[in-house]
Amino acid sequence: MIAKELKEEVYKCIKCGLCLTPCPVYNLLRFEGASPRGRIQLIKKILEGRAEPSEKFQNLLFTCLLCETCTANCPSGLQTDRLMKAMRTVMQERMGGNWQERILGILPGDKRRLPFFLYCERTRENLLSSGEGKSGAPSAFEPLRSVSPPLREQVPEVNPAPESKGRVLYFTGCATNYLFPNVGHAVIKVLNRMGMEVILPQGQMCCGLPLYQFGGRKAALKNIRENLKLLNRKDIYAVVVDCASCGAALKKEYAHILEEMGENTEPAKELAEKVVDISQILARFDLEKILKPVKGRVTYHDPCHLGRSQGVKEEPRNLLRKIPGLELVEMAGAETCCGGGAALPWEYPEVASGIGRNKIQSIKETRAGIVASGCPWCRQQIAENLGQESIRVLHPVEVLAEALRES
Amino acid sequence: MLSPDVLQKFISIVGPERCKTSPEDLLTYAYDAYVHEALPDAVLLPQSTPEVSAILKVASAHRVFVTPRGAGSGLGGGSLAKQGGIVLGFSMMNRILEVNTANRYAVVEPGVVIAEFQMAVGKMDLFYPPDPGSANVATMGGAVVMNAGGMRGIKYGVTRDYVLGLEVVLPSGEVMKTGAVTAKDVTGYDLTRLICGSEGTLALVTQVIVRLLPKPKTKRTLQAIYNDLDDAGNTVAKIIAAGIIPATLELMDKTIIKALEDFAHLGLPLDAEAVLLIDVDGDPETVEKQAATVAEFCKNQGARDVRVSQSERENEQLWVARRAAFGAIARVRPTCIIEDATVPVSHLASAIKKILEISERNRVQTAVLAHAGDGNLHPFFLCDQRNQEEMARVEKAMDELVDYALSIGGTLSGEHGIGIAKAKYLPKQLSAASLSIMRGIKKTFDPQGILNPGSFLEHGA
Repeated sequence: MIAKELKEEVYKCIKCGLCLTPCPVYNLLRFEGASPRGRIQLIKKILEGRAEPSEKFQNLLFTCLLCETCTANCPSGLQTDRLMKAMRTVMQERMGGNWQERILGILPGDKRRLPFFLYCERTRENLLSSGEGKSGAPSAFEPLRSVSPPLREQVPEVNPAPESKGRVLYFTGCATNYLFPNVGHAVIKVLNRMGMEVILPQGQMCCGLPLYQFGGRKAALKNIRENLKLLNRKDIYAVVVDCASCGAALKKEYAHILEEMGENTEPAKELAEKVVDISQILARFDLEKILKPVKGRVTYHDPCHLGRSQGVKEEPRNLLRKIPGLELVEMAGAETCCGGGAALPWEYPEVASGIGRNKIQSIKETRAGIVASGCPWCRQQIAENLGQESIRVLHPVEVLAEALRES
Repeated sequence: MLSPDVLQKFISIVGPERCKTSPEDLLTYAYDAYVHEALPDAVLLPQSTPEVSAILKVASAHRVFVTPRGAGSGLGGGSLAKQGGIVLGFSMMNRILEVNTANRYAVVEPGVVIAEFQMAVGKMDLFYPPDPGSANVATMGGAVVMNAGGMRGIKYGVTRDYVLGLEVVLPSGEVMKTGAVTAKDVTGYDLTRLICGSEGTLALVTQVIVRLLPKPKTKRTLQAIYNDLDDAGNTVAKIIAAGIIPATLELMDKTIIKALEDFAHLGLPLDAEAVLLIDVDGDPETVEKQAATVAEFCKNQGARDVRVSQSERENEQLWVARRAAFGAIARVRPTCIIEDATVPVSHLASAIKKILEISERNRVQTAVLAHAGDGNLHPFFLCDQRNQEEMARVEKAMDELVDYALSIGGTLSGEHGIGIAKAKYLPKQLSAASLSIMRGIKKTFDPQGILNPGSFLEHGA
């Protein structure tokens, strides 16, 4: 299952240890098995047949945020996160994962059950959690969630602009569709205002990222094929995403996974050319004249899948800077993972909240009233760990939508 | 193997979570940044001096071998459990206990990462100069017992020059303090400086007192670019002879430059044969003047261009790249053996030529890096440890390089230590008398020989 080239990656690790200090998980747990270097050693030994693929190994492999910090910091250019993802597939196929991993490795490929599952997520709390609070007790991030119908049932498939200058496809992703429809409304509103006709193609599937993160590579392939068929259209200006993870999947991982599975990568490469994060497409427009002054202070958290995976760091900040009166204050370590990556908040809640604490501290130190981030799982993790703090957690496009002048 | 009874005693000290014995845990404590591996029988992760003391009491009562480990970034196998027993990891003792601005010293636990410490004191306008390439991962405790050097050696010296005192635990479990917080201290033998550089064979360091300097007001980084490696080497010797003392003076050849550029994308000159990376620091006027002098000097020695960094951020990026050299070189070949033989700086240029000649003769791919200002060579022998025949050639090249360095008054190891990597060369440099005194010292500290067994002193004893 692991491609030959990826197997050879383990020999690129010279054990310099530069991945240790920046790794949020190692920093919290402080033993070598929780570090990227340690996991690479174990993967190498297993691939060489010198160690058993044990349950203990599987736990270490999944106590990882897949935040790509190690990949970004590796001087020898090891694709650590891809190696981990590929190894996760091997382990799930060999060992079978825990119940959460199994659900995440199957469900997002199931058109019929996914909406039901996410409906439960919206109305009951933390269905996947190992920890406290899965009893449906109200949580700190209740305000983030809506109990309204999914976004794609609330709005028409085609949302024309008054003076149409172009047409975009909007890939909503599951999180916006089912959990955060407000973000979707904001995306449509702002794009319409910029003269873009916004089409939400019916039949879009989960981007597949949770599937391949949790070993469901074959299930992911099905989603990838369907989405490629749906989104590769000649008559559009761009495919817009508001979710960092969906963006990373469509832009980068589709081609990689198809290649690994020996499939044709051309359609994925063609799509990647057209995919833009909402902050990227808005950067192309002159927004100033449609914005009204807003008083306040905002800070921005870089989602791993937007900052590291896609290299999109300045555009979301610039969006916020364009809003008159709103002050953007940088938090310390904005690029550090918040702890919401992979399924850590569900599988290893203590580890996730331990990592989240530093992020919350940095946010509070800015004394901002809003923390903005273009990733639903970051927002969820931050909101959950903010506790009783009265700081709003929003997508940058929501902040922007609030500042729109009446047309 | 540890008996269940002894293991139980260890568990009763640190608890089951911090006493690790699973095959997965042992495998991840079997390496450092050198090529060898050795499996410990258990890994203990203490959180306090009393825990370390209790562990050593049990270890000496049952003659269990104990090998200390900081972050496992050493380059000589020093932190491997070469003869089994326990690895005692200090990653969970990582608090900065005190930064005293009035008297300019700090007290830290051994697991504090050097770069994090530097950053913490930097915020208070203080400066901890020792700066090994691995500062972003290596720990203060590891740096002390290895007497780590690094890139600022030429102007600021090495770890030993900053350690004022220690708290250590002796093999018996007894806690001992050495040194003082004062800048001067001549009370008795200097045990602080003896333990510093002892490679974990004498005592376990549980606290370190280091002296701090005021932070230099400003800093400028220069890149002198050469079409000829020889010219770069000659420049270094002449800068030193001229009495100019830059803060750092690093030399890298084209293989290193390419690997760093592949990693960091900074626009390093890929067509150059060598680059000197030079820092000057101090008051703005002095820095301005010195930067100009150094640039002029390099040009006169054949540098085709001298680039001066324009901002703190640019300085920082260049040094981040330089720090990644060891890892980045794995882009070329999967295994890298770094030599660190050190020669009198006037021999630097001829030593580099000699390295290239030795490498060519033994058909070993080599990249040259050097903390050039203090004659500290870092030839990287690039190989693949899965190829035994190639590894034999690398070893032969190392043998020859060591002989050469010693023949011109150099030393086996400038800063990485002996560990297992260089143990066999030790009698070439140290006389029988000096080895015998060292073994006597070891016996005084550690009569049972439980600390870091299999280290340099035991080789060929």
